[in-house]
Amino acid sequence: MEEEKVQKSQATVEVIDFGPLKITGNFILKDIKRNTETTPGEIWLCRCGKSANKPFCDESHKK
Amino acid sequence: MAKLNIHLISSSRLNLKFVNLHHNFIATMDSNNKQFSGGKRYKNEDITVYWKPSACVHASYCYRELIEVFDPSRRPWVDMNGSTTDKIIEVVNLCPTEALTWKWNDEKKNESVDKDQLNHVLFRRPELMDSNETASEEQPASVKIMVDGPIVIKGNFTLAYEGNTKEIKESIISICRCGVSDHQPFCDGKHRKIGFCD
Repeated sequence: MEEEKVQKSQATVEVIDFGPLKITGNFILKDIKRNTETTPGEIWLCRCGKSANKPFCDESHKK
Repeated sequence: MAKLNIHLISSSRLNLKFVNLHHNFIATMDSNNKQFSGGKRYKNEDITVYWKPSACVHASYCYRELIEVFDPSRRPWVDMNGSTTDKIIEVVNLCPTEALTWKWNDEKKNESVDKDQLNHVLFRRPELMDSNETASEEQPASVKIMVDGPIVIKGNFTLAYEGNTKEIKESIISICRCGVSDHQPFCDGKHRKIGFCD
């Protein structure tokens, strides 16, 4: 029986402890405010709210 | 949604937290979205059976006629290996609603299906006829950065969190971006209270 087959290339969303959100694989990134749509393949998104390069992580969470 | 692993649940508090968070923060996608069928699908080599729970009126024909395939006490509750394709089609056609429908995996056969096949998707759920499922399964996940708000991730993807991984299917999660949610890593709407602005 086949149920909801998972594709190999599908996206992986990894919540890094005390760090950013790492997303890899097959996904489309849409930034509503900046009006961009890209398929970057791999990104680290800020989760702490302190990055100067939002929505991306700039390691400000370590400071 | 996939079943939870009992060993994982009982093995640590962290895992329990993970499970609880999932329960509260993963939303099933709107059934109006064309890419998704508002339920589950089950396949054997000949046909696909679609299960739309919201349409079920519990008439019970399915499991009274064919418990080998349709067993509500089992997960997944539909076992496509439990009987022959002909018998499964016969019983799906007994369903008085669109809760259970079916179609041939060979698309050409769906174009000339007889009207006595009452619950073929052509008659019950024509929206499923033109859906290209192969394409929709390969659809990339959507990651949206909301204005002064969370990261909203939609579709099929793997979620890795606190040492666990979970396959998320046709669902939506919302990840906190402001850092102050009480339900980390998920958004609880607190960004508005603190005036988060990027």
